[in-house]
Amino acid sequence: MISLRLAGLLAVATVPALAQQIPVIERRLPNGFRLLMVERHEEPRIAGGWVVKVGSANEQLGTTGISHLFEHMMFKGTPTLGTKDAKRDLELIAEQEQVRGEMRREEAAMRVALREGKLDDVTKPENFTPRYRELEAEFKKLIDEQRQLLVKNEFDRVYTTAGASGMNAFTSEDMTGYFITVPSNKLELWCWMESERLLRPVFREFYAERDVVYEERRMRIESTPIGKFGEEFNAVFWDAHPYMWPVIGWPSDIPNITKRDADAFYALYYQPQNITLILVGDFQPDQAEAMALRYFGRIPAGTQPPPEVVTQEPNQPAEKRMYAEAETNPQVDILWKTVGYRHKDSYPLDVLQLLLSDRTGRLYKGLVLGSEVATDTYAMQDSRKWAGQFNIGGEAKEGKTPEDVEQGVYAELEKLKNELVPADELQKVKNQFAAFEYRKLTANFPIFMQVLQAEGLGDWREVNEANAKLQAVTADDVQRVARKYFTKEARAVAIYTRKPGTGAASDDPDLAGLAADQRPMVRQIVQSLTAEKDVTKLKEFLGQLEAQTGNADPKRQQLQKILQKKVAARIAELEKK
Amino acid sequence: MNSRLLTTVLAGLAGLALGLTSLGADIVDRPEKLTFPPLKFEPPNPAQFRVPLKSGPVAYVVPDRTLPLVTISITVRVGSYLDPDGKEGLAEFTGYLLARGGTKSRTAEELEERLAFLAANLGSGIGDDAGSVSLNLLSKDLSEGLKILREVLTEPRFQQNKIDLFRQQNIQGMKQRNDDAKFIKAREQERLAYGDRFWACRQTTEKSVTAITEEDLRAFHQKWVHPAGFVVAVSGDFEREAMVAQLETLFSNWPFKGETPPAIPTDISISPPGVYFVKKDVNQGQVSILLPGVKRDNPDFLAIQVMNDILGGGGFTSRVMNRVRSDEGLAYGAGSAFPGGVYYPLAFQAGFASKSRSVKYATSIVLEEMNKIAMTPVTEEELQTAKRSFIDTFPENFNTKAKVAARFAGDEFTGRFAKDPTYWKTWRSRIEAVTRADVQRVAKEHLHPSKAVILMVGDEKDIELGDPKHPLTFKDLSGGPLVQVPLRDPLTMEPLPAESR
Repeated sequence: MISLRLAGLLAVATVPALAQQIPVIERRLPNGFRLLMVERHEEPRIAGGWVVKVGSANEQLGTTGISHLFEHMMFKGTPTLGTKDAKRDLELIAEQEQVRGEMRREEAAMRVALREGKLDDVTKPENFTPRYRELEAEFKKLIDEQRQLLVKNEFDRVYTTAGASGMNAFTSEDMTGYFITVPSNKLELWCWMESERLLRPVFREFYAERDVVYEERRMRIESTPIGKFGEEFNAVFWDAHPYMWPVIGWPSDIPNITKRDADAFYALYYQPQNITLILVGDFQPDQAEAMALRYFGRIPAGTQPPPEVVTQEPNQPAEKRMYAEAETNPQVDILWKTVGYRHKDSYPLDVLQLLLSDRTGRLYKGLVLGSEVATDTYAMQDSRKWAGQFNIGGEAKEGKTPEDVEQGVYAELEKLKNELVPADELQKVKNQFAAFEYRKLTANFPIFMQVLQAEGLGDWREVNEANAKLQAVTADDVQRVARKYFTKEARAVAIYTRKPGTGAASDDPDLAGLAADQRPMVRQIVQSLTAEKDVTKLKEFLGQLEAQTGNADPKRQQLQKILQKKVAARIAELEKK
Repeated sequence: MNSRLLTTVLAGLAGLALGLTSLGADIVDRPEKLTFPPLKFEPPNPAQFRVPLKSGPVAYVVPDRTLPLVTISITVRVGSYLDPDGKEGLAEFTGYLLARGGTKSRTAEELEERLAFLAANLGSGIGDDAGSVSLNLLSKDLSEGLKILREVLTEPRFQQNKIDLFRQQNIQGMKQRNDDAKFIKAREQERLAYGDRFWACRQTTEKSVTAITEEDLRAFHQKWVHPAGFVVAVSGDFEREAMVAQLETLFSNWPFKGETPPAIPTDISISPPGVYFVKKDVNQGQVSILLPGVKRDNPDFLAIQVMNDILGGGGFTSRVMNRVRSDEGLAYGAGSAFPGGVYYPLAFQAGFASKSRSVKYATSIVLEEMNKIAMTPVTEEELQTAKRSFIDTFPENFNTKAKVAARFAGDEFTGRFAKDPTYWKTWRSRIEAVTRADVQRVAKEHLHPSKAVILMVGDEKDIELGDPKHPLTFKDLSGGPLVQVPLRDPLTMEPLPAESR
């Protein structure tokens, strides 16, 4: 709700702030599952899925990445889905585990050699011990035999043939979510498939899937321009909290997660009390509830509740800084410690994010349009389940440094600490939150995802309660949280500069001071200089330039000087040879 | 339905009275044993929404009173193929700055502030072969929004400082062109598939965008952005007749005449077969396998879609994904696409990213599958999976009113509606008609692994070294030569000399 003072002042121009409720029906099954349903008849389909309250924050060192690997394994089938011979399939899995056990002993020996410096890399095929190669061959024989019995990706095939779409899953620090869209006459198939895989998943093809996950790690982190630096920065930022490790897991941990680890993980976290089922779309809630009870009701309740994450981030005593040379444009990335989901201060921080963001936000106006130190900026408030962070950053404009952008960010934050946000600026942001209340309701899947995310973070009701809390935020609240959280001690700063030798050969910091239309010409001349080997000719050219510089129009002075410098450098280079 | 009701009652009773242990005892062991009520769905009829406006454009008007929102999207007959040589980027600049550069009565800053205060989303852009201007806003603000839209379309300000800013952001974006192996792959595969000189392969350079002036933007805008070429999609909270009247006002009395754009050039030429290699220091190689493609009006287009779905388009039910990912664990994603061009044939493409040492092996698997689907009929089960998937997900094409309006407007724009007004009505039966023989026939006609153009971006040494368990040479993958493709200077797009790489 808009505060009375503002409503009186600006009522004409504002968006109606009445929250559009997502009409969620909540039920609890006797074995502990929560069931959330939203009935919508706009199209003959249903978005369905479930969220497990487990993510990388629940993991331990040594098996980081297990939540995500486990998510992959949940698509591998059941005793009856995915194989032609359930009995032999399970035997083969057991035999494979035995060979893997021996391989792990060899891997341990290879790690000793690695620590003693006798091997450079335990993942290189050339470094495998003879025994390990034998075991690999033995393992492959078992895989080949199992492959004869496999019905490849049958779990997916059944759904696809039934007209389902968008089957996928995700893992974050706080939750694991599974989802799909089915035709509205296939709700019972959804109940069958999802309850079957929750009741009796079979983790076949475990080790090939582990390799897939490692490829995913290469794809998302190791082979992208700033992926590995982002991972490092995150680890620098969190001191004690398990948010410090990547969701996908540390490189050494992924290949060492075993099927036995996966079994234990399943028993602890994938129990009904820790899972919420969600349906959005074309169904009758009473029928859906009965069906859910019939299928999911047969899964036994867990015996012990999953442990809570008890580690709390200590108060950071000093600013942290990371300097990275990467294949990217110069930029700065800043993180501050804030508060977790549904904390009262998270709402003024949400407001702050919008005040800073977009083309009319303070960062863009201050740093891109105003002082012109940046080409782009961003702000992100991220209150997670156990703790929160606020992220601001931006790319430096040619000729400016990441530190210039950093100082510009602090200047904008100082203004927010020192002066109250004007009423119309605050109202602009609240109008955007209010309009989102309608935009959030346009289709099944986005509604489903909002409910799932809120539930995974702590409470689905937040989808209907957040707007009122955001509308109640005052200018004083914004100032208070700006002062409280944006302190030097609570932040970590990553400064990115371009790794030497990876930019445009034609790109050159010397050119930064030139007018935009002068740069291409100078770059072209500099490029042609590298092809010129005749020192005499170059010296002649330099002489001409020097003569011209004195008479040049002031706008061209700097251009002349840069050209002189470049020609002189090329002469020096040639004479050295 | 009766048995369903009974189940409901029984399940309810069981939960209350018998406890959990008795639940599920009668649940079937295989999904095929479940039975489902029939599902009826008929696609909306485009003629029902089509309104040829007196002011010129054709509009698709789809009222939807469920939420107080309106979405208007105007497609413009324009594209980067109209960029003059030496000013590559002009279409892109004009497209972006229509909405972002202010209007006659408002500076860019004033316009942005007003839109933000109304929580309205206004966007514009010009791509390869079409442009668009779109607005999504609360219906209470519709008349103000339409006034803004009229000004944006007819009297854009193209404010000089916004041109300079966009130029500078654009050049800084260019500098990242070689930073990610994926960017390099995307760029080079276009050149290999369509030829260096094809218009769509032209690249902006620092020089070309520096040459673009405010006058250029004005001239480009007045030449191409006029209602004769517009197709409009509008959906949301309004009465149909009232909206039609508002659209007539929006497009009437256009202040300039404009020109009819020339046809889109179609002079593509694919590179000779071979392995094309770009060196990049990363631990995962990017691979793209290219072959000449088809236009979407090819009579076999739907059969080709079914074939490609089985080969590599269908995700986890496709052969390429099953072998490269599930069997071998060599990639996170692996697949193929046979897109079908509107104006010229778009290339077939298969691809994946894999650790350097397994790049050659994974490539050989994809080529093997391309060969196999042409040589041996697919199974009936595979055919049914692909067909059911296409047919039973069909309602998703129309699952929001905004999508209905946009889909029909798209067909109007590309001429598909004029050619076949029943395209969507008959679509499912045409998919249903595809046979195993069709699948093999189109695979044989279009998939020739020996003619493949194979692009690899990555660590040359490790890729060449390969996997000792699967020894392969580049010659085993392609009869053609191994061609070293130079990286290009990101600002000039000139090839870089080998030693500076």
